[in-house]
Amino acid sequence: MNPSIIIARHHLRRVVRNPGLILLLVAIPLTIALIEYGAFGQTAAAGKLPPTKVLFLDEDGSLASSAVPQVFAGSPVKDMFELAHVANRDEATRLFKKSQAAALIVVPKGFQDNLLAGRRSELVLYKNPVQSIGPDIARSMLEMTVIIGNGLYGQAIEPISRIKTYVDAQREPTSDEVADVSRGFFEAGRRMTGLQGLQNMKVNVIRPGEAEAKAGFGNDPKLFFAYVFPGLVVFALLFIAQSLAMRLLRDRMKGLQRRIAITPASGWAVVFGGVIFMVVAMLALLLVLAALGAIVFRLQLRDPIALLTIGVGIALFASGLHLLSNSLAKSDRGASFVGGVVVMLLSLVGGSFVPAEQFPPFLRGLAMLVPNGAAQQGFIDVLVHKLPLAQLGGRLAVTWAWGLAAVGLAMFFERRRLRL
Amino acid sequence: MIDVTNLRKKFGDNEALKGISFHVTAGEIYGLLGPNGAGKSTTIGILCGLVKPDAGQARLNGIDIAQRPVDARRVLGVVPQEVALYTEFSARDNLKFFGQLYGLSGADLHARIDRVLERVSLADRAKEPIEGYSGGMLRRLNIAAGLVHDPKVVLMDEPTVGLDPQTRASILDLVRTIASAGAAVVYTTHYLDEAERLCDRLGIIDRGTILVEGTLQELREAAGAREIIALRGVFKADAVTRELQQHPEYELLKASDVELLLTVQRAEQHLAGILAIAGSLGSVREVAIRQPSLESLFIKMTGRELRE
Repeated sequence: MNPSIIIARHHLRRVVRNPGLILLLVAIPLTIALIEYGAFGQTAAAGKLPPTKVLFLDEDGSLASSAVPQVFAGSPVKDMFELAHVANRDEATRLFKKSQAAALIVVPKGFQDNLLAGRRSELVLYKNPVQSIGPDIARSMLEMTVIIGNGLYGQAIEPISRIKTYVDAQREPTSDEVADVSRGFFEAGRRMTGLQGLQNMKVNVIRPGEAEAKAGFGNDPKLFFAYVFPGLVVFALLFIAQSLAMRLLRDRMKGLQRRIAITPASGWAVVFGGVIFMVVAMLALLLVLAALGAIVFRLQLRDPIALLTIGVGIALFASGLHLLSNSLAKSDRGASFVGGVVVMLLSLVGGSFVPAEQFPPFLRGLAMLVPNGAAQQGFIDVLVHKLPLAQLGGRLAVTWAWGLAAVGLAMFFERRRLRL
Repeated sequence: MIDVTNLRKKFGDNEALKGISFHVTAGEIYGLLGPNGAGKSTTIGILCGLVKPDAGQARLNGIDIAQRPVDARRVLGVVPQEVALYTEFSARDNLKFFGQLYGLSGADLHARIDRVLERVSLADRAKEPIEGYSGGMLRRLNIAAGLVHDPKVVLMDEPTVGLDPQTRASILDLVRTIASAGAAVVYTTHYLDEAERLCDRLGIIDRGTILVEGTLQELREAAGAREIIALRGVFKADAVTRELQQHPEYELLKASDVELLLTVQRAEQHLAGILAIAGSLGSVREVAIRQPSLESLFIKMTGRELRE
């Protein structure tokens, strides 16, 4: 058997026998993805969130309509919402497009008249399509208010009817009649024991069509993870590669690499064995992560060939990067420091935590030039934008060029260190 | 089996080897003695094919290691000073891996593993992870890993460092067995008594040069019948040196502010005179008389003790 294969197989067996840290590192992307989903996805994370900006458009201009925004401005929710009045729907649309508001509440004309007449009244909630959690918080708040309002309305139907009588008669009530109406509301409040009541009011939620929406990743959990998970997987691969490379470096420091180097295996075979081990381990872990993504996050792994092609590219780069670091470092601490710094820098530039699609144009361009950014975007292009392999040319070229360069340099320097 | 001819190697300005030559035949144990930095490691590195010499030639079983390193390594077994083994594996798995790298496989590999495990007395614990092995067991396995392919040439780099006397003795027996089976063995050690007991021939190397070489008998004759007197204390080195040099019967090997080493014929007759000189120019706290030995030769040749 080829010595490189013997060496690679040997190291893989060691990982299988002692997988502790590697398994821990595999859990990183899953954990971070869930945290990100908790913070930015459709489920609210525990803890305090930044205030949700809610727009308010009063087309009715009545006493009843002016009471609606007070729901968002009073305790205990005043810290959760930032309320802004807008003059018309166009202004709200502009703010939506700039992603400067989560929702718009419209009180249509005739709201108060319908309430007093006992007819169906409507509040309209517009949700910003490129946001997830904010609009849902606003919706929940408004629906809760409506339920309470409906309950109150059911209990206060008698004093409301009296007000309607005075309005219809177009006369001012006497002081005794005002006192009666007040007593009626007071009694209604006392009778209010739950949230049951008539269902005369409802919230009509309108979400503008997808064609009008800016491309984003918060609309759907599956889409969210398809955007976020690839970056985290690439990030994890870079760190796992470092962990594997550190094993090889520790072997070197214990004299094990020297012991292998004095066998009949040629220097190039020894070096290549290390590369094969790293790349195969990376690909195996990539498969594990992809499977976990499919199971846990319901990712649809379309076009496996394209995904694998990108995967090999980033596996080459991750392996080459840390083997190069090993071959140049004089100690494990040096290699660990250099490798860690490079991975963090690449992750920040390449958009491991926030997809580069969401970056400003200049940073987005920069992200596409680094291997992890290009690989991550390649995965997103396949998983989200459904691009075929043939249309991934740029992403593949960048990832593979970096990968081959890193592996080539690593092999050169490692071989030189091992010479004869 | 091992032919080293005029090997030279420089690392920057440091000339690690200045043209050393030696020859080791089949079945012979050759001791390479020298203090740290003498050139032993560079010599071993060249013989392993890990260091390229600037000049000269090293042949293993007739194969030039610089020209055909892969072929030369097929006949070479190396036992490094450090225990270089995979602790998560058993002894058998370790030997299997190294055996495969020497091109062994199948029944032949397993037979050789069984044989070498018997030789190092680890057959009964061969399947256990070696994490639980004692220091002596690890050393024996370390040797076994260098022998699994039955090499014709064996390089052993201080294989007994830090071991208890019983384990050392068993390893020395093992080395004799290897040589008696026909292998040429190069053995480096800091333990001079070990070299005296084990090696058929010895070479003393210092500062990149083999100062003296020969059988133990030849080296003892070279050392002469002179004994070593070692004084420790506080001395005025220059003054003591000047005073002692006026006595041709004393051969001064080393003089420092804390130690004096000199050789004389019949030490007991001269001890009082030497103590008087040293005491007048310092204070003597410790006196030792050493019989002629490899150690005295080593000090005579290098001006240093082997541990320095």
